[in-house]
Amino acid sequence: MATRLMFENSCEVGVFSKLTNAFCLVAIGGSESFYSTFEAELADVIPVVKTSIGGNRIIGRLCVGNKNGLLLPHTTTDQELQHLRNSLPDQVVVQRIEERLSALGNCIACNDHVALAHTDLDRETEEIIADVLGVEVFRQTIAGNILVGSYCSFSNRGGLVHPHTSIEDLDELSTLLQVPLVAGTVNRGSEVIGAGLTVNDWTAFCGSDTTATELSVIESVFKLREAQPNAIVDEMRKSLIDSYV
Amino acid sequence: MPRRPTRRRRMLNPQPLTFSPFARSVAQIASIHVDRCQTHKSKDQKGSPLNSKDKGIWKHTLEGKNDLSESSEEEGSGGVVQADFVFFDPKLDDFHGVKILLQTYLDDTQWDLSGFVDLILAQTTVGTVVKIEGDDDNTPFSIVTALNLRRYKDHKCIKELKEFLLKVCLEKDVIKDLRLFMGEQANDVGLLVSQRVVNLPPQLLPPLYDALFDEVSWATEDEPTEELRNFFCFKCYLLVSKIYKHKNANQKNKRNLKRRSASDSGDEIVYIKPEDEIFHKLSLWSFSFPMQTQQVETQELKNYRLMGLVMAVEAAKIPTFRQELQSLIVET
Repeated sequence: MATRLMFENSCEVGVFSKLTNAFCLVAIGGSESFYSTFEAELADVIPVVKTSIGGNRIIGRLCVGNKNGLLLPHTTTDQELQHLRNSLPDQVVVQRIEERLSALGNCIACNDHVALAHTDLDRETEEIIADVLGVEVFRQTIAGNILVGSYCSFSNRGGLVHPHTSIEDLDELSTLLQVPLVAGTVNRGSEVIGAGLTVNDWTAFCGSDTTATELSVIESVFKLREAQPNAIVDEMRKSLIDSYV
Repeated sequence: MPRRPTRRRRMLNPQPLTFSPFARSVAQIASIHVDRCQTHKSKDQKGSPLNSKDKGIWKHTLEGKNDLSESSEEEGSGGVVQADFVFFDPKLDDFHGVKILLQTYLDDTQWDLSGFVDLILAQTTVGTVVKIEGDDDNTPFSIVTALNLRRYKDHKCIKELKEFLLKVCLEKDVIKDLRLFMGEQANDVGLLVSQRVVNLPPQLLPPLYDALFDEVSWATEDEPTEELRNFFCFKCYLLVSKIYKHKNANQKNKRNLKRRSASDSGDEIVYIKPEDEIFHKLSLWSFSFPMQTQQVETQELKNYRLMGLVMAVEAAKIPTFRQELQSLIVET
C-alpha cells in the first residue's frame, strides 16, 4: 500500500528517508508524525532508525542501500556511522566510502539485485557497490540525465522512471533491471522521482501532493496492492527454518 | 531539480553554475538596469460585463495576456543582464513555482499549502504571476493576489491560516480586531498575498500593484454574478509579511503605529519588501510575531531578528499607497 505524507511542509519524502527491504532510515528533526507514519507501517517488520548524515537531514539523497548493505558518503561522522552499525540488523553491512560524488542517493539507484550508477562514478566505488550491496552495476543515464538516483526509483518488483524517458530507453532499462518499468511522475507532476518517492517490495511512501492517478500508477507498477510484508517474511522464514523440534 | 546541459539563450550571458534553472535565473537578475517602461496593458477578462447600472457597458480589450513588460538594456559590462518580465493571469500550471514562493508564508507550520496555492491559481480574474519572457521553464518570479476571506472560509487552508494568525497574535488589543476580521467582517476583508524572489527589480512593483487593484475594481463590475461581484468589494486588506526587527528594540506594544517616525523605523525595523513600509505606515492596526524559520545570517543583519508582520490596511487608503509607492520607487 502506498502512503502519502509530508516532511515539514515539503512533499519530497524521498529526500528525508531511505527505505529498503531490511531497514528504514528517517531524518531527525522532522515532526513526530513523519516518524510515526513510518513506524505505523513498518515497526513490526523492519527497524526504523532516526539518523543524520554529516549533520544533514537529506539522508535519502546521500546514502544508498538494500537488504545486503548500506553505503555512506565520506561526510558521515564516526558517531553516525557507529549509530547506524548498532541500529541496523547484522546482515546489513554498513560502509563509508571515499567518493568524490558524495550524494550517493542521487548517483546510484538499486534494488537487491541490480544497480544503476552515475556515468562518472569511480571504478573503485563501482566495485565496492557490487561487493557490499551484492548487485550487478550498470552505468546508465535516464532521459539524458546522469543523476540516475534522482530520476528513477525501483524495487525488486517494478520501477518508476522520469516521464520523458523514450520507449527504447524504457525497454533497454527494463531488460537490464529485469523488472517492469513505467515512465511517470510523482507529487503532482514532479519529474524528480527519487526525491518524491521511497519504496520497497511491499510498501511505498510519497509526498502528499501526489494525485490519485499517480498513486494508482505507483501501486500497480510496484505491485503493492497484493503485497503483504508477511508474505515476504514467511518466504524468508521457510528458507531459514530447516527443522522443527 | 535537474542539472540539464546549459542552454544558450538569445538574450542572456553564460549562466552561473547553480543547481536548478530557477536558481540560475534568479542569480542572473542580480543587477538589472531598467531604461524604459512600457506600460500599455490589457488583461484577459472572463465573463461578459453584465451591467444593470446606467453608465453603460465597460469593455476591456481582450488581446493576449502578456502585454505589460519591462525590459532592460545590456550594457556590455559583466553582471548586467537583459530580461523581459511579463505579467500573466494565474494558471494551474504554475502550481509548483508558486508553491515554492509561498513555502514560508506561515512560518514553519504544517498547513494545507497546496490547497492555498490551488485557491490562488483558480482565481484567474484577480491575481498576477510574473515570469520572464521566453523562459522555457515557466518559473514564476512573483505572485500577487487578493482573496476574499469569507468566500473561501470553508476551505481547510483558510481555516488553518486563521487559526495560525489567532495563535501568534500576542497583543491583546489587536487580537479583538483580528477576530472581527476573520469572523463577522470577513466578507469585506481581502487577504493580500504578495511574494516574490528577493532580487526582483523594484521598478516592477508600481505596475504590479496597479494591476492588482485595477483588477479588483474591474471584478466588482465585470464578474458574471452579483455574489462574485460582492466578493471583490473589499473594505480592508489583510497582509502577512516578514520584517527584520532590531533585537534590542523596544518590544512594548506601540498603540498608534502611525506615529512612529521614519528615523525610528529605519533603525528598528528593516523591511524586506519596500512596499511593506508604506503599508505599515497606512495600516489600521498591525502586530508582529517571532518566526521559527532560520534566517540568513549576514553581517548587516546580525543584530536583527526575523519576525512576521500582519497588517490591516483600509481599502480607502489604497490610492495613497499607490502614489507613495510610485514616488518611492522613482526616487531609488
